[in-house]
Amino acid sequence: MNADGLAAGAIRLEHASRSFNAQGDRVRTLKDLLFGDRRRGLPAVQALRDVSLQVAPGETVGIVGRNGAGKSSTLRVLAGIVPLHSGSARCGGRVVSLLELGAGFGREFSGRENVYLTGALHGLTKDQIDERLADIISFSELEQFIDAPIRTYSSGMLVRLGFAITAQLEADVLLIDEVLAVGDESFQRKCLRRISERIADGTTLIIVSHSPLAIERICGRVVVLDAGRVIFDGPTAQGLLEYHRLIGEDEPMIARVQPTGNRPGIVQEIEIHDGEGRRRQLFRSGESLAVLMRLSERLPSDPPNVVLAIRDETGRPVFATQAPLDGDQGGAWMMFEVPRLALLGGDYDLVVGGYPEIDRLIGFSVAQEPGAEGVVDLRGTWTVQHELTGVAS
Amino acid sequence: MLEYRYLFGQLVRRELRQRYKGSALGILWYLVNPLLLMGVYGLLFGVLLKARGTSTHDYLLFLFVGLIVWLFFSQSLLAGASSLLEQSALVARVRFPRETVPASVVTVQLVTFCALLALALLVAVALRGTGVGLVLLVPLVVCLYAFALGLALVVSILHAYFRDVQPILAAVLLPWFFLSPIFFQPSQVSGIAHRHWLEILLNWGNPVAPFIRALRSVVFDGTVPSAGVLAYVVIAAALALAIGLTLFRRLEDELAVVL
Repeated sequence: MNADGLAAGAIRLEHASRSFNAQGDRVRTLKDLLFGDRRRGLPAVQALRDVSLQVAPGETVGIVGRNGAGKSSTLRVLAGIVPLHSGSARCGGRVVSLLELGAGFGREFSGRENVYLTGALHGLTKDQIDERLADIISFSELEQFIDAPIRTYSSGMLVRLGFAITAQLEADVLLIDEVLAVGDESFQRKCLRRISERIADGTTLIIVSHSPLAIERICGRVVVLDAGRVIFDGPTAQGLLEYHRLIGEDEPMIARVQPTGNRPGIVQEIEIHDGEGRRRQLFRSGESLAVLMRLSERLPSDPPNVVLAIRDETGRPVFATQAPLDGDQGGAWMMFEVPRLALLGGDYDLVVGGYPEIDRLIGFSVAQEPGAEGVVDLRGTWTVQHELTGVAS
Repeated sequence: MLEYRYLFGQLVRRELRQRYKGSALGILWYLVNPLLLMGVYGLLFGVLLKARGTSTHDYLLFLFVGLIVWLFFSQSLLAGASSLLEQSALVARVRFPRETVPASVVTVQLVTFCALLALALLVAVALRGTGVGLVLLVPLVVCLYAFALGLALVVSILHAYFRDVQPILAAVLLPWFFLSPIFFQPSQVSGIAHRHWLEILLNWGNPVAPFIRALRSVVFDGTVPSAGVLAYVVIAAALALAIGLTLFRRLEDELAVVL
């Protein structure tokens, strides 16, 4: 592929278009062909519409979008598995896509045998696989299970093995689709670290994920696809904001409210608004935010306190507060205003209820800002002084 | 293509082991089926219907050689037809030469065939001695392999697009089996005596017949097949392979979509 002057690791997608039959999963039979069932009235689904994408060697690109936006089609086109209807797709050098193990592999065969088969599938010889076997097994942490048939593996174990093999293949372009979502957190971190090493070595990475966190950690650039078109292509933080705006559109925040239990509860509705009174679910650190809660029409005469708590994605409490309630406030809107959001990037849950019950839960996200890590934004400033004159008050 | 030799080997090995993994007789099942068929047809045509004037064990050997050629051919096609579908998970996810999939199942059949052929040869040499024809054994097996591979490529890619290719194939193979010169020699069948055209049709209209006749002359009679049969075999093999590869390459692009 280098013959046309494309550097190893570079990707060039030009005006790529591809459609699939709406009933692509339907089995075709000769009868359909002979007796003219041409799937009347079934429109083709346009998976990619005039997608152009240029990726330089060593770039890390995250592709996000709703289901059916064309993310996986893009990867399959880049991997050379699905041809385009028009336009061109070229990848420089060796392209490796992270494979889900288990599906097409002999489930009766051991992990070790599957390592050989997967390696062979990627064009390795036996010697090349022998060389890497020890590294693959130790990376997967499946030493005790490597000779057990993979039908006994959990999905997490299959991903471990699959990733371990892929990690040992020399790739100029690495394509990863969603799979990292499986597996425990420590292994995910290990994979991310391994991917980072690969990136440092100059491997180009294209990753499709629903997890903004993974993309945030790895990718320098985000492409947002919608209905087969590129609607954003640029820096990660901005791209994820675009993505959240996109999914916010068809999933109004109220839809994410989940009642817990079937008690009527103290709080009936919950919304999160930004400083201008619009519903939002993605914020930047430092923005203003207001939580609106509509109280139940029929409050008990001696109502409990209203409690509001924020938890991070691991469920760890980040913040909690309470407010007293009067029995005559039934049906009223209660508001909790935050002038400047002091949280750093991540996904959070906001729960409210009549103490000690939780009535409603709503999720929101804070976009990652460069230069700070952790949960709380202390809003400190750095200065350098030649002589220490004391801290300004 | 060459860098995928190891993949090919892996697929063949896996297929061989997977088929009867966990069964008591294991790989021996490959041999049980043809021997059983030989016994049944031998009893039916050799003893009960007295199809030939030769001795029973000669007839069994005659039958056996035809039978294993046919089994190799038909099993290659049937297994080849569904092979891509069975490996759809691989085909849909990785870019590799997809020909390796049908080729590996045909090769698995070849392994069985060679084992059975060795058995037939052993018995033939013991009973009837050797003949000069044996020098042609390997080239004939290569031609048979190429012939079956070419047709397996055709049915595998067509079956990926149209799922009734395999049922049609299964339906066609049964009458085809009875019309192939497996338990009879067209020249010696009484119904053919005054219908020369029928003999020509049975011998040449069926592309499997020359392969059966050629291998039978070499193994059973120990003689060199006629030049016509040899030419037919070589041309049929080359043609099948060329058509198979052309069709496969033309249609394989959309495989990940249609599977």
